[in-house]
Amino acid sequence: MAEAVEKIKLLKSSADLSAATYQIHDESHTIGNSLRWMLMKNPKVEFCGYSVPHPSENVINVRIQMYDNASSIDALISALEELDKVCEAVEDGYLASLREDKFERWVERT
Amino acid sequence: MQSNEDLEPTVRIRELKKDRVNFVLGNVDLAFANSLRRVMMADIPTVAIDMVEIETNTTVLPDEFIAHRLGMIPLISTNCDEAMRYTRGIAKEHAKFSPCSAVSFEYDPYNKLRHTTYWYETDIKGEWPLSENAKEEEAPRDDEPFDFNAKPNKFYFEVETDGSLGPQEVVMKGLAELQTKLANLILGLKSGPEHDMVANDVTVNGHGPAIDNPWTGGATWTSPANTSATTGWGGSTSPSRGGGASSSWSSQPTPSGGGGGWGTGANAGWGSPERRSNGWNV
Repeated sequence: MAEAVEKIKLLKSSADLSAATYQIHDESHTIGNSLRWMLMKNPKVEFCGYSVPHPSENVINVRIQMYDNASSIDALISALEELDKVCEAVEDGYLASLREDKFERWVERT
Repeated sequence: MQSNEDLEPTVRIRELKKDRVNFVLGNVDLAFANSLRRVMMADIPTVAIDMVEIETNTTVLPDEFIAHRLGMIPLISTNCDEAMRYTRGIAKEHAKFSPCSAVSFEYDPYNKLRHTTYWYETDIKGEWPLSENAKEEEAPRDDEPFDFNAKPNKFYFEVETDGSLGPQEVVMKGLAELQTKLANLILGLKSGPEHDMVANDVTVNGHGPAIDNPWTGGATWTSPANTSATTGWGGSTSPSRGGGASSSWSSQPTPSGGGGGWGTGANAGWGSPERRSNGWNV
């Protein structure tokens, strides 16, 4: 195997990491857009954007700029954790709806 | 405007059949709904025929034609991510690995948000029939002004599978896959010594040696992401292709036997040297 690439690395940042660009390997719009949305919901985030620099390279760049010199890594981690909670909430909602059983169902005929 | 976003996400299943599930996802952002759609279509591992060796072919179809069609056969893939080590794939690698034959995804059936522009000859309403999902929403008044702050809030999904996985499994695995992706990132970030970075008085562009070492050199930083199953699929070719040279198929009746590409690779993980020197990726 070639050099193992790290999942996420810092491309550029200010000294205190309040403004930074991260490069995430093997991710795409699937994570990028949701992550950008969740970061933008954080009131401490001044700016967040992402891009897929080239379609044949499976990486995304995420730019985060924070207010008041707050840490962009903290914001990134909390955004990821919040997204995880959204997934859980959707899963719970789905299972709850399944239990309620108010939908057309397929019946197996023998 | 704010009120919608602060509510818990809702899911309402409208129909569940053998091969499809139809549900309405509410109180999430378009970005998240789209992530779920993408992950269900392209990131769920399934099993499919991936290598075919044809000894004689007396049919009218060429070999690769048959091999391709064999690959398209949906094989039951329940829990293949846990039960199997090599012969799985995801749709990013080849579309045959997608468990979904179709995922329909709709929001804003009245186009109140103007995310699309209808082509028409004389009259939009007459020429574009409303979707069934329009019954779920309130029709706009004719004189309703455009609300440029409005955001989509209800997403109508129909996940139709090809039979390799059940519709339930696809939704659950899709969410789990999304969570795995997030967990990998959190793991990557948390095992990266970010506190050192702040403490070490980093240079302005963030590329000083003090910062480079902990990020690139730390074993804890790189290894967890690579051992997990999901990241393994992303970049490299499927191990079954890379290492499973035709000789190991024919000469090794038991896959666990030593010596062949399959046998030695079994415990070594994705990029075992044995497999590469034996197979095509030398």
